[in-house]
Amino acid sequence: MIVADRKSLDEILWMVSDCNKILIAGCKGCVTVCNVGGMKEVGILASALKIARKKEGKPLEVDEKTLERQCDPEYVEQIRDIYDDYDAVVSMACGVGPQFLSEAYPSQRFFPAVNTTFFGGATEHGIWEERCAGCGTCIIHYYDGMCPIARCSKSIQHGPCGGSARGKCEINAELDCIWDMIVKKKMEQGRLDDLLMVKAAKDWRTARDGGPRKSIREELTK
Amino acid sequence: MSEMFEPQIVAFCCKYCAYAAADLAGSMRLSYPSNVKIIQVPCTGRVDIIHLLRAFEDGADGVYVAG
Amino acid sequence: MEGECHFLEGNLRARKRVDYVKKTLEELGIEPERVEIFNLSSAMGPQFAEIAKGMTDKIKELGPSPVNC
Repeated sequence: MIVADRKSLDEILWMVSDCNKILIAGCKGCVTVCNVGGMKEVGILASALKIARKKEGKPLEVDEKTLERQCDPEYVEQIRDIYDDYDAVVSMACGVGPQFLSEAYPSQRFFPAVNTTFFGGATEHGIWEERCAGCGTCIIHYYDGMCPIARCSKSIQHGPCGGSARGKCEINAELDCIWDMIVKKKMEQGRLDDLLMVKAAKDWRTARDGGPRKSIREELTK
Repeated sequence: MSEMFEPQIVAFCCKYCAYAAADLAGSMRLSYPSNVKIIQVPCTGRVDIIHLLRAFEDGADGVYVAG
Repeated sequence: MEGECHFLEGNLRARKRVDYVKKTLEELGIEPERVEIFNLSSAMGPQFAEIAKGMTDKIKELGPSPVNC
């Protein structure tokens, strides 16, 4: 899923400083699963903002609405009837949300309440880790399902580097060296020679290096 | 002013311990300040962030969880 | 008592949420001591009264919540 962290209250308060009435728009997709922008977190942010503004003597009216998803035109319609009742809309979805909303409602302002961080998963309750870099050309079949692009600090494809020590990465003593894990798994399976295979250079044009990306599937388009 | 100030305090109390303790305090005829308004919860694990924040939002001067 | 909750870990979870709210209050410039958690058992009637009095005294000292001013 897409993982995000909530921005500081100070930053959000600054964004809405000229507003008297706002809508906080949550999302039932990834940000609900990573507990940052679902219905519950929308309520918490609304309450915190109201407390802050009441304290300043400049009360803020806050409505709450959690959309099915904010990355789909169909669900973005869920605020069609109410979007212009507010001075601004604060989106708690990933970075996609405010942009889809902004495109659908040109006359309104949309602010992000979260920092979108990475594609990952929960390794335990309350802890999320990056697993995918969305580079557009997956190569993890060479590495038994482990991704050196997302999980090696240098994204090197022929590791480990000299900074790998006792299974940890030199940039952070708590970070596992993915190359150590890849090599160990290959050894355990008796297939270390796999790593000697000569591969074509990775195509980075499918990553961000090639500009914003687009995916078209003819069988689904109108 | 501070002598006049009577705070509004909300106490979320677990049915099985703190609320029972409050009951006991009552039977023992121990007095405690009437500023404290008790809300019984089935478990303090039921108390969520939003409940605590809403109390402040609605004017509580202090909030505590007991259990 | 902490770790001896009727539902095993309810009060440990509550403590984490209280800590979250303390941080939020701090971020908003409100004294974090306005929110607390106390652990006690059903047999601790006198302690209950003491806690209620202690909390009331502390809030009186802090004065009205800045939200109400």
